[in-house]
Amino acid sequence: MTRKVCVIGVGNTDFNSMTPDVSWKEFMYEACKKAYVDAGINPREDVDSFITCAEDYWEGFSIFDEFVPDQIGAVLRPCCTVCGDGIQGLASAYMQIMTGLVDTVAVESHSKISDALSYGDVVLHAMDPIYEKPVAGQVERERFSGPSYPEKSPKPLVGKTDEKGRVHPYYIAGLEMQHYLRSTKTTEEQCASVVVKNKRNAYDNPMADYECSLIEDDVMQSEYLFKPVKELDISPLVDGAICFVLAEEGVAKNLGVEPIYLNGFGYSSETPWFSSRGMDAGYATMASKMAYKMAGIKDPKGAFDIIEVDDRFSYKELQHIEALGLAKPGEAAKMLENGELEKDGKLPTNISGGSLGIGNCLEATGLQRSLEIVTQLRGFAGKRQVKNPEVGLAQSWRGIPSGTGAAAIFSRYPEVKA
Amino acid sequence: MMTFFEKQTNPLDQAHHMGNLMVDNMYTSGTAGKKFFTHLKENDTFLASRCKKCGTTFFPPRLYCEDCFIEIPEEDWKEVPAQGTVRLFTIATLNTFGEKLDEPKVIGMIDIEGTDGAMLGYIETDETNKDLIGSKVKAVLREKKDREGTVKDIRYFQVL
Ligand SMILES: [Zn+2]
Repeated sequence: MTRKVCVIGVGNTDFNSMTPDVSWKEFMYEACKKAYVDAGINPREDVDSFITCAEDYWEGFSIFDEFVPDQIGAVLRPCCTVCGDGIQGLASAYMQIMTGLVDTVAVESHSKISDALSYGDVVLHAMDPIYEKPVAGQVERERFSGPSYPEKSPKPLVGKTDEKGRVHPYYIAGLEMQHYLRSTKTTEEQCASVVVKNKRNAYDNPMADYECSLIEDDVMQSEYLFKPVKELDISPLVDGAICFVLAEEGVAKNLGVEPIYLNGFGYSSETPWFSSRGMDAGYATMASKMAYKMAGIKDPKGAFDIIEVDDRFSYKELQHIEALGLAKPGEAAKMLENGELEKDGKLPTNISGGSLGIGNCLEATGLQRSLEIVTQLRGFAGKRQVKNPEVGLAQSWRGIPSGTGAAAIFSRYPEVKA
Repeated sequence: MMTFFEKQTNPLDQAHHMGNLMVDNMYTSGTAGKKFFTHLKENDTFLASRCKKCGTTFFPPRLYCEDCFIEIPEEDWKEVPAQGTVRLFTIATLNTFGEKLDEPKVIGMIDIEGTDGAMLGYIETDETNKDLIGSKVKAVLREKKDREGTVKDIRYFQVL
């Protein structure tokens, strides 16, 4: 008999612009503890394998994996880090369970980005160091010339005005948004409507931090930071932690919890060279094709009762809907205008508030979107509950300057009814 | 006014411990990079490399084709003019700390002539409101004596 993998527990902290009261360990503990209580399990005995999705530079540690086990219940247990988005972590967990070696896997991801004082430079550091990163300008300092550290050791970057000449790498979003608007004849006003919708949706999501009542004019009048990207087109950073417990379906039956099945997933990476790569979110197209195939979905249009897509910049929501094959190029904005992306529309999209409404939680974004889908499928979404959803899609992207994305399909059934 | 303007956003106001990373790296140019930058030091043109199998001309030049996954031999490198066309551009106003730059910078994605590749670079223009897409631009290089064999030898792109 084929094994089936399902979600048996989820837990999360609130999402906040800062979390000065808790350390990164304490708030990871909170999310994991809630997930284990939700599943009705003891991680010290019942979880066979643990996965954290994290990237050293975001965390401010070398070998962050080593700082993980105690707060997630994984001391002296199989534990590893996936250096990628949370959905890539879910994919690894799924595959571990399918081997039959393990039955229950915990997947954790978080953002404690308020601890990172050099966000822009960390993002910039993700660009090709020879041809592309230097375009933004470089830190000029004493050359490191030998095995011992130079006498005049570099000063910390914070607060030194002469070291602030580097262009913020979000300029890449300015280029890409311009490409999206031109190639699909979408307008800046239509992108502004995404911001209005998602920040409004966030009012019904108690864990969102950036809910706001805006009109399109507010967005249009916000300042051009990376033209055509305006201040309000950008999702602000947020802290938060999320934990998923995945298990073989027999575990769910024994525990008596209602399973939400992980029916399909996919992930894909573009070439890192801006000089060679497309600007149409090809990573999302390929990731979703892989997920649709796995879930047995032939035509994604009409297959989903709810979707959560990455909207770290307003245009990204529309671009991703199209890349996922849910609209033709240029048609996502029309769906938005027709109300199809609203809670009672044909394709409810980012009802959670998305990254624009909740905040950008970096590598935890995929789990944040998956969390909304699972919450909706369970019928626990409160005021923002979509009527009786059966199948949902979560999609994420690793943010500027990456070309990596992932998608996951969840449903209330072992097989998606195609 | 708007709720998100009222949030505490300076974590340094809270109880904390400071830390930083004293890390410097060098990045080996590689065979392709060395060839490209050595050429650029002595010439006012670029080099590109062409995959025989699929016909893609890579810029910056590479030793292998990422699509066919085969090597590109020396004889398939070629010289191209240091100019191109603006595919996309943006006007950046913030530095990496999220503060205003002294002057906004126009940054473009420049399709390099005679290649299928592109490069990111500053565009020097007085007309920031002008639609630069499709404009022909040429790379303004440092004086030969000042070139150091890095991408900084390309100072900016000038609209022709
Ligand atoms: Zn080729």
